[in-house]
Amino acid sequence: MGHYTLQELMVIEAARHILDGDVVFVGGGLPLLATTFAQRTHAANLCFVVESGAIAPLVLPTPISVSDPKLMHKAVRLGTLRDVLGCLLQRGLVDVGFLGGAQIDRFGNINSTAIGDYRRPAVRLPGCGGANDIASHARRLLIVTKHEQRRFPTACDYITSPGYLNGPDGRQKVGLPVTHPSLTVVTDLAVLEINPATGQLQVSQLMPGVSVDVVQEKTGFPLTVTRPTRFVQVPTDEEVHTLRELDPTGVYLTPEARDERSVHGQEKQ
Amino acid sequence: MTLRDAIARFVGRGSSIGLGGQNIGRVPVGPVHEIIRQGHRDLVLYGCNLSISMDLLVGAGLVRRCESGTGNLERFGTTFCWRRAIESGSIEVEDYSHLAMVSRFLAGEMGVPFMPIKSLLGSDILNHCSRTDFKKFELIANPWKNDDIVVLVPAVTPDVSIIHVQKADAMGNVIIEGFATHEPEMVRASQHTIVTCEEVLDTDEIRNDPERTTIAFPHVSAVVHQPWGAYPTSTYRYYDYDADEIRRYQAAARVGGDAYRRYLHEYVYECPTFDQYLAKVCPPGRREELELSMRSVL
Repeated sequence: MGHYTLQELMVIEAARHILDGDVVFVGGGLPLLATTFAQRTHAANLCFVVESGAIAPLVLPTPISVSDPKLMHKAVRLGTLRDVLGCLLQRGLVDVGFLGGAQIDRFGNINSTAIGDYRRPAVRLPGCGGANDIASHARRLLIVTKHEQRRFPTACDYITSPGYLNGPDGRQKVGLPVTHPSLTVVTDLAVLEINPATGQLQVSQLMPGVSVDVVQEKTGFPLTVTRPTRFVQVPTDEEVHTLRELDPTGVYLTPEARDERSVHGQEKQ
Repeated sequence: MTLRDAIARFVGRGSSIGLGGQNIGRVPVGPVHEIIRQGHRDLVLYGCNLSISMDLLVGAGLVRRCESGTGNLERFGTTFCWRRAIESGSIEVEDYSHLAMVSRFLAGEMGVPFMPIKSLLGSDILNHCSRTDFKKFELIANPWKNDDIVVLVPAVTPDVSIIHVQKADAMGNVIIEGFATHEPEMVRASQHTIVTCEEVLDTDEIRNDPERTTIAFPHVSAVVHQPWGAYPTSTYRYYDYDADEIRRYQAAARVGGDAYRRYLHEYVYECPTFDQYLAKVCPPGRREELELSMRSVL
């Protein structure tokens, strides 16, 4: 087993939640890298969809935006936003909605709009984009984000995109079309999933070498852990190599994380 | 028609403007520079994934209100002028999702007052509205199905839409190559549309291949030949985005204040035309690189 960073394993693990043949609606940021990785490894037949209107491109490394021409390569159609957000997503034809998160609360709700008071925010974030649409309509919701306490508050300051809102049947009560989606959050410390009984996130897997205490320390709400505790599968050398080839200049795989690589590798030895 | 004439004719104080492009693709930067030079104030902007276009207009102090899905430049950071303006309360912002915005344009282009959607339910997008005299949405019970709540979003019909495309003819027929984002719906919903293009085609070419036409002339008011009109963002099949120039913009936008005023002065006000801006920042060698970069991903 060679060296890898927890950031790299986070991306690889997130990709593992995409199955071959899935229609995946991919948001900006790390989801672009993870879905490209899935397409190059175990899910060659996934249908990559981005909101600019591209359907089923064979993505070239390294797309930096949902409108990057590298995301258009060999698409079967380059259409409109309505084609993909309307006729695929709202129409109910998307298996996986894949988002990066700004703030995620205990019910899996996402805030990408504002920190603090919405009307006069301390920090204004980019906003909703297609994220609310993706979270409303995809059958499975997949979120990838760095695990920091500020990103995991008890309740989001603003719910941009619905998770389970406020409980196990929260989505059904407000009339969302997909009432009980699977919802998985992959971080550099753990994999969190919604417990159907409570509608709240719980730890389903830990990253290798990471303890529940560390995850709890970096999470703003109390976590329960599924038993027995499972660990995320360590990546193969080939997986790590493939991922690095997809981001040779470090667009997503950050230098800080590369420094951590040796540290983490030593921990593993 | 020149870009200067087209902007002077169709944009004025208080205009509502639909902005085309998406993030780092086909953003109508050329027309936006001209709006800034002409100084049309109190603008209302509509769009989906808006980046440099919106940020430039907000940074130049010309915008009163934005209704869009998002403002950002993804890996290049956020739209800093827009963000500061919201944080300081100097512009109004109305947040919708992208599907909500494109549905509003769809209502506009169909000539109906609203469109039903099934997004936004349960979110704070339905809990906050920028002003009391604007009805952001309505919830209704689906008349054809029990226990089904539907969100109605109001039509948008901008005074003028502005897009940069690959090809158009003098008559006003438009060919968009590659992704078209929200542009077809937005343009057909608008009272007027200004199109800048990389190439002007003869109308015979349009008539020989009519299925290639994305938007037909009744929806278009002015066509202006402006090669590289989306620079530093990309135009599919023509040129890639210029990361260095986007970073130059972001460096000024991030800091704001004098640094941003100097940017506007040097790259917008002091360049009487967009071609002069291009000559200043994107020499022929750089253009070849960006053309090659685009061809390599086709």
